[in-house]
Amino acid sequence: MTETAPIRIEDLVVDYGADAVLTGLSLCVPAGSITALLGGNGAGKSTTLATLLGFVRARSGTVRVDGIDPGADPDGARRRIAYLPENVALYEHLSASENAEYLLALSGETPAREALCEAFRAAGLQEAAWSQRLAGFSKGMRQKVAIAVALLRRTPVLLLDEPTSGLDPRATADFNALVSAVRDRGAAILMVTHDLLSAANVADRICFLDAGRIVEDLEAEGPDRFDIRALHRRFAVTERAAAA
Amino acid sequence: MRTTLLIARDELRLMIRNKVALIAVVLMTLLTLTAVASAWSHQQHAADLRARHQSEAEQAFDAQPDRHPHRVVHYGHFIYRPLSPLAAFDPGVDAFTGSSLFLEGHRQNTANFGDVRQSSMLVRFGQLTPAFILQTVAPLLLIFLGYGVLSRETERGTLRLLLLQGARRSQVVGGKLIALGAVTLLAGLPAMIGFALIAGKPGASALPMMITALGYGAYLALWAIIIVFVSACVRRSRTALIGLIGFWAVTVILLPRVAPDIANAVVPLESRLQTDIAIGRDLRRAGDSHDANDPHFAAFRQSVLDRYGVDRIEDLPVNYKGLQAIEGERLTSELFDQYARRAHAAQLRQNRIVQTAGLFSPAIALRSMSMAAAGTDLAAHQRFLDQAEAYRFDLVQRLNRLQAESVSYANDTASDAGADRRKRIAADHWRQMPQFLYRPASASDLARAALPGLLVLVAWLSLAGLLLTAALRRLGGR
Amino acid sequence: MSLWIYEVGLILRSPVALIATLLLAIFAGAAVLAGLHEVSRQQAAIAAIPAAQAEDNAAVAVRVAESQDAGSAAYYSFHPTWNAPSTLAFAALGMRDVSPHMLRIRALGLEAQIYDGETFNPELALPGRFDFAFVLVFLAPLFVIALFHDLTSGEREAGRLRTLEALPHGGRALWLRRSGLRFIMLWTALGVPFLLGALVSRAPLAGTAAFVVIVAAYLLFWIAVALLVSRLRWSSVANAAALAAIWLVLALVLPTLANVVINRALPVEQGSEIALAQREAVNGAWDIPREDTMRRFYANHPEWDGIAPLPETFHYKWYLAFHQVGDESVADQVQAYRTGLERRDAAARTLGVLLPTVGVQAVLTRLARTDLQAQLAYQNDIRAYHQRLRAFYYSYLFHDRPFAAADFGRAPTFVEGG
Repeated sequence: MTETAPIRIEDLVVDYGADAVLTGLSLCVPAGSITALLGGNGAGKSTTLATLLGFVRARSGTVRVDGIDPGADPDGARRRIAYLPENVALYEHLSASENAEYLLALSGETPAREALCEAFRAAGLQEAAWSQRLAGFSKGMRQKVAIAVALLRRTPVLLLDEPTSGLDPRATADFNALVSAVRDRGAAILMVTHDLLSAANVADRICFLDAGRIVEDLEAEGPDRFDIRALHRRFAVTERAAAA
Repeated sequence: MRTTLLIARDELRLMIRNKVALIAVVLMTLLTLTAVASAWSHQQHAADLRARHQSEAEQAFDAQPDRHPHRVVHYGHFIYRPLSPLAAFDPGVDAFTGSSLFLEGHRQNTANFGDVRQSSMLVRFGQLTPAFILQTVAPLLLIFLGYGVLSRETERGTLRLLLLQGARRSQVVGGKLIALGAVTLLAGLPAMIGFALIAGKPGASALPMMITALGYGAYLALWAIIIVFVSACVRRSRTALIGLIGFWAVTVILLPRVAPDIANAVVPLESRLQTDIAIGRDLRRAGDSHDANDPHFAAFRQSVLDRYGVDRIEDLPVNYKGLQAIEGERLTSELFDQYARRAHAAQLRQNRIVQTAGLFSPAIALRSMSMAAAGTDLAAHQRFLDQAEAYRFDLVQRLNRLQAESVSYANDTASDAGADRRKRIAADHWRQMPQFLYRPASASDLARAALPGLLVLVAWLSLAGLLLTAALRRLGGR
Repeated sequence: MSLWIYEVGLILRSPVALIATLLLAIFAGAAVLAGLHEVSRQQAAIAAIPAAQAEDNAAVAVRVAESQDAGSAAYYSFHPTWNAPSTLAFAALGMRDVSPHMLRIRALGLEAQIYDGETFNPELALPGRFDFAFVLVFLAPLFVIALFHDLTSGEREAGRLRTLEALPHGGRALWLRRSGLRFIMLWTALGVPFLLGALVSRAPLAGTAAFVVIVAAYLLFWIAVALLVSRLRWSSVANAAALAAIWLVLALVLPTLANVVINRALPVEQGSEIALAQREAVNGAWDIPREDTMRRFYANHPEWDGIAPLPETFHYKWYLAFHQVGDESVADQVQAYRTGLERRDAAARTLGVLLPTVGVQAVLTRLARTDLQAQLAYQNDIRAYHQRLRAFYYSYLFHDRPFAAADFGRAPTFVEGG
């Protein structure tokens, strides 16, 4: 099962010169599941994403995106990844659909108009907003545009960077529902977050990252999924460790 | 006032911490020092060379053997345009006008051997002089240092913070202006030192130098105000920078080139070939001294004979050929002057067009002012040409009079074996000829010529000040 | 293909890029027009020579008609020479505004004539001409800076950089595409006005193509500089400031500095010294035995020796001979002067290999034949023509043949490049 997982990281070591950022990270996200990566500042969360996207080269270890090594073939890896940065910034003077079309073109795809409409609908973007310029969009609406693009691309991997920071509770709930829907289509989703509650709500697995490696790995169990109190304690410990 | 100074100090501290800005100031200082040194030594070298050539030419003239005076008319004289002391600061058109002039009878030659035809094409990129640095480079440096003084604060929201803390808009802007002004002074300092050195030179006079200093001060202050104004008007630093560089490129680089082209198209100059042919035509009409049947000279001869009450040229107490030469030279010189005046008038019209463009480009106004005050503009060159022509005419006529009075007509027309010897007069006559002494424009003349440019700059300065005051009211309003 | 369409769509919505391109096209167009105007003015002046000269010639013919003295004919006759602008001169006027493109000479001492200048207003020449070469060398880089300084930093500042780079076609390929598009816009803005000008003046294909290629190469140089600076990952503002500073150094500071260094390192024997020496030689002839002069003349020109002896009285044979001897006495100085000028020019060219601003200016003026070399070539033409003129008049003078009215028409005419 782990051999075929769309996201597979083994003993990953990444350093920026003398600074070791990832010190033997192993992580596996199977298809149709959501893994949340939690950790304090500087724990290596963003580096993990950057390595998957091929922006950062591994010193040692294995990284595979749908079987492809992003260090050797970044374009190949990126073809299999949909990535949402913390703030989805798009072209303000283009409309939602123009933005989507452009991003899709940059992904090598030219979807039919109906497919785009369907994706927007699936992403929960109101029809009135489709042809509006992006300038007035909220963060949640921008994310929906990006998710629509991800849906259309049908990538096996979805990477989310702090997707719920700055969203109000209602928008967070919407977003979580949307991400769950993407998972149900079979994508492997890795989300880096500070938002414990949201992670507990939507993730199938929560990993705590500290000093460049996974220090705790929890899987959702039963109807309550996670023990929120235990998570909080755990989170406080990693935060303190990061601060120290 | 304290707030203003605090803001100025803050801004200066920021500039000092900005490594790029610091490097730029250091580079600019080095460049100015190089320019001062090179322009100084070039001026010195050129002035010495011309003085040496002038004395060589005078020695050669004086060392002529016994000669027929008309030979000396054709031997002619070389004169060299002396370089004004302020040419070390702003050489102006010196490189573009010939520095040596050959004076001879019946002809008005061009000043030849200007540097522009003796240098590589690099000379067309501009000349590294203190004036060039202050006119062209210094504003760009100020832009780099100052584009963000207010736009940066607007962009980051710190401007509102400042205003909320009780600083008045005028204090903020005043502080920024003081900071930029301090940098301006610093940037202009090396050039000013060079300027002060030149002031110590003999012949440098105080009034035009003061006007020059005032003009450059106004110019740089103008840039400081424009920079603060633009920085106050825009919301983003990038817009300020791009806008200012664009304004600089248009007013300092583009307009000074476009305006002359327009002037050239509107007022075309007659080519030298056309002028020469036209003068030849007019001369033939006026009379040809070499033509025995020429009506003008026939009448002239009659008038001479009448004056002396004789019937034949041979009976005249003076050498008629000399008189004829005097009359011929008078005729040709009159024509030369007429054409030269016309050409000069056309060039003045061209310059006026360019100076009108100075209303749109302070750089043009400053350049005109600077050259005028330094005595290195077209007017100064024309002054040299005028004096040279006056000297030429005087010299040639003196020689012609010598021919009329010291060579007998009989000898002058003889062609026997010993005639050549008898036609010659003693060599010490040449030493008695006056020497060419260029009289430079007086200090008040130079100052007066520089005044219009200075006025344009002051007008620009006032306008920029008004604009800045207007912008003040809207500052931080968004 | 569709990606290109999207990029075009994006750039068409960016006012900065559009206005910049349009402005550059306007500048280039204006420069081409100004250049064409100046060239046609020079052409018209050259075309007007024969008519004006005919009047002059007729007057000389009248004057000489009686004596039929070839010497008088030689003394009074001016012969026009000219240096017509090349078909590409409109794009790079070079030194044509400060050096003569027409010069009338007589068969007398050439060194006293060949350095004569043209009437021009020095204050207008001082800042340099507004020609296509200026727009390319000085202004185009500023437009490159305007369009390229925020190519990546702008996306970073807008927060889009990661999104774009995370897309399979969003990395290097995207920057190449955008750079390529901007390059093509600038190239078109410069190239189309130039090509129209070249078409109007019927420039040869090879030279025109070379110009267009140089325009592209120079733009690419500045684009490369802009992309290199962008690798420093500075902000857009810092990029723009750094690029403008580089422009200042490459386009203004280094060339002017180099001019000082070259003129210092390669001193040129002042041309006025040649004129002075030649005058001494020519006028000194009146004070030495005429036979001495003739001996020196015949030594160099045996073909005219012994045909007819010098009479007791004045003879133009001697007059023209001492003029020629005067020229020949300064031949070494002339050569040295010329070599000095050529060495200065060569030094500037060598610098052009390192400094693209200087290099492009040098290559453009070479292609347009408006540089110092072209001026020296024109002087060569004048010298060759002057020799033919001398030979023509000597054939009458030294054979004591009368110079009839019809003989004026037999005088050699100036041939460019001959």
